[in-house]
Amino acid sequence: MKINRLAISEEGFIFDPETGNSFTTNSTGLTILKYLKEGMSIEKIASKIAQEYEIEEEEALKDILDFIEQLRIYGIFQE
Amino acid sequence: MYKVAVSGINAIDNPGPGLGVIKGIREENLDTMIVGLAYDAMEPGVYMDWIIDKVYLMPYPSEGERVYLNRLLYIKENFGLDVIIPTLDTELPLLIDLSDQLKSYGISSFLPTKEQFKLRSKEKLPALSKEAHIKTPKTVTVTSLEDLSRAIQDFTFPVMIKGLFYKAYKAYNLQEANHYFCSIANEWGLPILLQEVISGEEINVVGVGDGEGGHFGLLAIKKLWITSLGKIWTGVTIHNDNLIKTTERFLQITKWRGAFEFECIIKNEEIFLIEINPRFPAWIYFSVGVGINLPGRLLKAALNLDPYGDSFYEAGKLYIRYTEDFVTDIDNFQKLIIRGER
Repeated sequence: MKINRLAISEEGFIFDPETGNSFTTNSTGLTILKYLKEGMSIEKIASKIAQEYEIEEEEALKDILDFIEQLRIYGIFQE
Repeated sequence: MYKVAVSGINAIDNPGPGLGVIKGIREENLDTMIVGLAYDAMEPGVYMDWIIDKVYLMPYPSEGERVYLNRLLYIKENFGLDVIIPTLDTELPLLIDLSDQLKSYGISSFLPTKEQFKLRSKEKLPALSKEAHIKTPKTVTVTSLEDLSRAIQDFTFPVMIKGLFYKAYKAYNLQEANHYFCSIANEWGLPILLQEVISGEEINVVGVGDGEGGHFGLLAIKKLWITSLGKIWTGVTIHNDNLIKTTERFLQITKWRGAFEFECIIKNEEIFLIEINPRFPAWIYFSVGVGINLPGRLLKAALNLDPYGDSFYEAGKLYIRYTEDFVTDIDNFQKLIIRGER
């Protein structure tokens, strides 16, 4: 899985060693990436984020799907 | 003590690879003296006596084999010369032709054969790529403005207009394409290549082929920052298995001998081969800095010493080029102008 090859720092710096591209993300993005790397399902991630940030699960899911779409556009996420 | 001549010591805005090659040789565990080959007394390397022991002004390769050979034999006789490492495109055809003769005078090199040199011409690249299962941008050879106008109808703008070996411009309309066609034809002659533009990530591999289908080391990088002349000022090391396998296939097919730079574009995981340069690039010190001393290994190969080494390096190492200045005496300039050497 593409996401496993990424080098992700605790400060939110992401380096793709295959293309040389680098990105930055905030702490929420970092958490989502961490869960994705662990192989967690999107629904499960939404549930965890909803609990952590005290928001509706549906809202969390929408934001996570948006975030994943960004990752796809940048070529660092493939299902 | 080995005396090694290196050209391309013009560390200017369009930097030659010479200084990077010399820094690599200096870091290799060999007893060497460096001879800088300059084409102009103003090349900065001429004055960098802390890494270049002796400098000679050279005749341009266009002055012919005899003149060039005589100059090298003069250096051999007066200073000593064991190996020559040319780093400029314009020197290569001449030095490939002269390599056997130079060898008979005790001057070694490690260059591609004439056939290998021709294989990487932009005209022959599509056939080579097909054999190596590498994609190349759609390319058509044209020899007149009429040809160009006809062929360009099968392309969408922008297109690349390229010389057979040197120069490449992006044209956004027919007028620009015609202009670049004439400009390249005037400088480098015909034919001219019309090529599809591939947009994607520009990545490069540098290495030294062993002449038997293998190599002495490979390094893959992505260009992060390039100047208006297309020169890398910042780059980053990458690990791309597909790219390395592709490069290895190219080496197996061509049995490439000597330095090379593989210029590619990656688009949606597909690799397009844009160009093969038959020499080290100006950023060759990057390889030395990450532990794969390609100039040192090439020198060892030319000296018949063991040049093999591993290709391990970390992904995410940055290459930074910067400009430097220093003050020196006019004596060295005077020596070079009057005597042709310092």
